Amino acid sequence: MKLTENQVTDQNLYLNRRQFVKSLTAAGLLGTPFIANALDFSKNPDYQPRLKLTDPEHALHYNNFYELGTSKEDPFRNADKLNTDNWKVVIEGECSKPTTFDMDDLLKLEQEERIYRFRCVEGWSMVVPWIGFPLAKLLKQVQPTSKAKFVEFVSIEDSNLPGQRFRILDWPYREGLRMDEAMHPLTLMATGIYGEALPNQNGAPIRLVVPWKYGFKSSKSIVKIRLVEKQPFSSWMVATPSEYGFYSNVNPNVSHPRWSQAKERPLGSFFKQKTLMFNGYENEVAGLYKGMDLKKYF
Amino acid sequence: MTTALKVFLFSLLCSLPAWDLAWRFLNDELGANPVEFLEHHTGDWTIYFLLLTLSITPIQKFFKPNWNRWLMPMHLVRRVLGLSAFGYALLHLATYLVFDMGLSLTDSVNDIIERPFILIGMVSLILLIPLAITSTASWQKRLKRHWQTLHKAIYTLTFLGILHYALLVKADLFQPLIYLSLFAILMLLRIRFDS
Repeated sequence: MKLTENQVTDQNLYLNRRQFVKSLTAAGLLGTPFIANALDFSKNPDYQPRLKLTDPEHALHYNNFYELGTSKEDPFRNADKLNTDNWKVVIEGECSKPTTFDMDDLLKLEQEERIYRFRCVEGWSMVVPWIGFPLAKLLKQVQPTSKAKFVEFVSIEDSNLPGQRFRILDWPYREGLRMDEAMHPLTLMATGIYGEALPNQNGAPIRLVVPWKYGFKSSKSIVKIRLVEKQPFSSWMVATPSEYGFYSNVNPNVSHPRWSQAKERPLGSFFKQKTLMFNGYENEVAGLYKGMDLKKYF
Repeated sequence: MTTALKVFLFSLLCSLPAWDLAWRFLNDELGANPVEFLEHHTGDWTIYFLLLTLSITPIQKFFKPNWNRWLMPMHLVRRVLGLSAFGYALLHLATYLVFDMGLSLTDSVNDIIERPFILIGMVSLILLIPLAITSTASWQKRLKRHWQTLHKAIYTLTFLGILHYALLVKADLFQPLIYLSLFAILMLLRIRFDS
């Protein structure tokens, strides 16, 4: 049975609550968008695998988000340095209707919860209930032309972000997908996590989630999506081309140059478990890479 | 206070970080990635103690402290620090072998062969073993002048330990570079005094 938040709560009360919360935010009484943005969403039964969810305590405090610092605890600690007010996402490039969306436009799209496995290139993993909508839904709105072969994602650039004071990476953070990967039904634009709006350390207010690829492919705090003809470069490819390729599909058979990828450690756990091909989404996505040498296109 | 008691108390002090880790381990307070936490902390403490061991000689030359009065003979201070480094290195290795390699010999051997930073870590730890074994007074007597030559291996293995860490880091080399700078300073102080 589908049960949405606004079915449980009376619509009027619900809207009043939002209004109330908004006024508190405007008055500066509520600092964090985590509380301010309640989300309307439904649980999509097609993406509710019977996996044990990662303790939110871990998923919300142990993050790679170099804009907010390089240690795992930095993003949570520096979360207030990320300003998500009046957030806009520009979609441009090879499309007939380039558009600038603000968050209200994006939150008007039907939001659904999906439980995905999430595997970091560093060898740890989680199971996360994301809330969001398929990227395909958004891209269709701008009507990509036949020249749109790839999609480039650009994240926030702001000199107030502690991590961007150093050129640890080539800022702003950039990532990319092939058009068919971007249009795949599993590819999600996430606006929430664990039933709440995305907290800053997890890439507020909107991020990408590509569950069959290593986590760094899932750009956080996206401000621009560009439809392009040629394969874009990602920040990690620029930093270390020998270690980070364009595809970065989760693949237990292809080692990272400095560690094996055969196993992973779920957050909170001492022992490792076997990593699944394409992070367990082989049935859904293997077709995208038919005939490709995944050792070469790592 | 007898010297033996002082050595005991000083060793206890040096073991505090290990007790802290044990306490966190038992109370499930190692965070989201407990094994990484253990590996990083035992690794960091190994390097701290190696650097502390290396700093005894320069401290002696600069400040000429009366170790006997404040603590205990200088060589005993250095021995406890050096053995502490060895202890944390062993904990570091044990964490890796048990939780990362699942005690699998083939996995461990493959890891050493495939990854230079693991190999370098192993080499520096293996180099520490003879130093730890020969740290006692009787070995010092037995080896005579060779003892000093042997124990100069600490320079190489400290460098290798820091290199092991630097090669593991993905992008932000800040911390290993701090360690490397401290190591370089301690080495330069030696060159100055030797000449």
